[in-house]
Amino acid sequence: MSATAETIQAVPAEPWRRRLLRSLLYGRNSNRAAKARARVGLAIVAFAIVYCIIAARLVMFAAVSDGRVAHRVVSGDAIATARPEILDSNGEVLATDVRVPSLYAEPRRLIDVDEAVELLTADLPDLDATELRERLSSRRGFVWLKRDITPEQQREIYHQGLPGIGFLNENKRDYPNGAEVSHLLGRVDIDNQGTAGIEKWLDNQGLAALHLAGLATDRLQTPVQLAVDLRVQHALRDELIKARDKFHAIAAAGLVLNVRTGEIVAMVSEPDYDPNIPHNPRDQSLINRLTTGVYEMGSTFKAFTVAMALDSGKVTLKSSFDAHNPLHYGKFDIHDFEPMQRSLSVPEIFTYSSNIGAARIAMSMGVDAHKAFLRKMGQLDRLRTELESAEPIVPKRWSELNTITIAFGHGLSVAPLQAVMGVGALMNGGILIPPTFLKRTEAEAQALGHRVIKPETSAMMRYLMRLNVEKGTASKADVAGYYIGGKTGTADKVVFGRYSKTRVLTDFIAVLPADQPRYVLLIMLDEPKALPETHGFTTSGWNAVPTGGAVVARIAPLLGIEPRLDLPPADQQILASMKESR
Amino acid sequence: MIFRVINIVVIGALILAAAYVYRIKFDSTVQAEHLAKLRGEVRRERDRIAALRAEWGELDNPGRIEILAKRFLKLKPIAPTQFDSLDRLPERPPDDARAANDDPIGGMIGNLDPPEAVTGTIPAPAPAATPPDQPSRAPSPPSGALNQ
Repeated sequence: MSATAETIQAVPAEPWRRRLLRSLLYGRNSNRAAKARARVGLAIVAFAIVYCIIAARLVMFAAVSDGRVAHRVVSGDAIATARPEILDSNGEVLATDVRVPSLYAEPRRLIDVDEAVELLTADLPDLDATELRERLSSRRGFVWLKRDITPEQQREIYHQGLPGIGFLNENKRDYPNGAEVSHLLGRVDIDNQGTAGIEKWLDNQGLAALHLAGLATDRLQTPVQLAVDLRVQHALRDELIKARDKFHAIAAAGLVLNVRTGEIVAMVSEPDYDPNIPHNPRDQSLINRLTTGVYEMGSTFKAFTVAMALDSGKVTLKSSFDAHNPLHYGKFDIHDFEPMQRSLSVPEIFTYSSNIGAARIAMSMGVDAHKAFLRKMGQLDRLRTELESAEPIVPKRWSELNTITIAFGHGLSVAPLQAVMGVGALMNGGILIPPTFLKRTEAEAQALGHRVIKPETSAMMRYLMRLNVEKGTASKADVAGYYIGGKTGTADKVVFGRYSKTRVLTDFIAVLPADQPRYVLLIMLDEPKALPETHGFTTSGWNAVPTGGAVVARIAPLLGIEPRLDLPPADQQILASMKESR
Repeated sequence: MIFRVINIVVIGALILAAAYVYRIKFDSTVQAEHLAKLRGEVRRERDRIAALRAEWGELDNPGRIEILAKRFLKLKPIAPTQFDSLDRLPERPPDDARAANDDPIGGMIGNLDPPEAVTGTIPAPAPAATPPDQPSRAPSPPSGALNQ
């Protein structure tokens, strides 16, 4: 109201010419003073908003900057990304990250090249002086001089106080046990990305994405605990190396599987490598034979044939099959290694490892039943574990001839781990449990597994396995006190498209103890040679079986298996208790 | 006049507030630096622990231990016959044999008369049958001189 009053007073003071101009410009009734006040008010509001924004930004900067300071320090020296620790089942370190200093130089800031070369070569004797001089004389801003130096060397060089010489800390993957657990763990490349084994699996579990986001630089990641037992692993590897050298085999492999949980307690594939030392990843001799190789397992597959027949109920332990003559099928003849030339009962077929008998058992079951059983046992599909594994080689057209040969382990190539999983199911009461490299409890395993054969069939199979050690082909594995059961296998290798008579792959699958199965052991030798002490034989019973016995004697105490001496033979210990429990 | 007073008061308050904010800010910077330093120390310690663990793993490697054991120890791998269960352990020898005197055999002979010696074939007498004044020998406490 007062504004209008002032305007009214001010009006007469205006000269007429200006009044005319104003009325021409703005119209007759406009009140300029009121407008000016409104404009001033608007300006005040605008400035107030601007100052509020400035104040708010100041508060924000003050609040956020604390975090920034800490973050900058952390990321200052981390180059290669961090990975979680890998532990064995007892908590021993299998793989860990260590910070290693690396030496670099900024040649432009260097004052005296000769002095620097002299002092550095004194501390790092393996550094080439001429190459070092060349690098330091270049006009580049940054050159690596040596990756991965020891803390002592770092201290020495630091105390020399050379300008333009500095250190950067890098994460480096360290495998304290060297080649011991190599195939299982795999390895990482120079950027700390997993390229094989469990390391690669870790990356596929989302670690790679974390790396890309730049988040996995600190070591605050939960360790990964594996099922492998370092002590068992070492004992197995040691015995396999001995066996490989003794029999001049080109390769040896071994596996220990806990049949109750599906945990892989040890896995060795010789030759192996030291994951700390980078080398050519395409080297074919260094493949993991247990997962990425597929093999015809030979007579060990008779365990599946016999189990199928017993589980169907059509065949009992007392059934017998004709093995008088070699089996003719088309233009093929199936022979036995040691022809008996009579009818053989099922236990005899198993313990003499009769090809004719196994073939006749499979024929009596029919092609479709055979195929369905092997599929149920997981032998025809690719096995899924943490490690990559190969697809089994299954005949495209599965005729009766295929069934005959597969009955004794030829004509179907599977990954050995797969066969061990199947035998584990035959032993543990009939539950097929997918194997794992990670720690797992029995309850988890039972939830994952499913029944494939009856418990009685499993007991009969354990009886047969034990019988085979008591008086069959696997007698050299009978370590007193551990009640081992086992099945041997000797497969002729395919050389230039034909089965070779001299080059064989021998394997031995053992269960211990046979009456209360806890572990299944696989020993596999590739092309073992005959020795004087094997009397010229290269069959499994002369090489893989004694190796298996030696391994069991060493690992059973580590696995906590109590030795029991003076146990009765298998027909009393296993079959009799089976009948009692019914 | 009143406005001038208010202005002075407000300016004073402003200066005080600014000083206060400055102090808080300075403190927080000091704290943040301290925190960063501690974090760096924790990280360095963790790195050193990891390095030591790796070194321990290397030293504790079964292969290395095996080589050392073969060279320096007379131990041999354990055989299955060397295990036995606790319930197959033989009966504890009579306490007299373990008694802390210089003639254990004499002590045993001297103590032959108590008939309650318990072995695998002679069971312990029923508690009611034991005369109350005579201390029972079979479940005797493991310590103390028992040579009477």
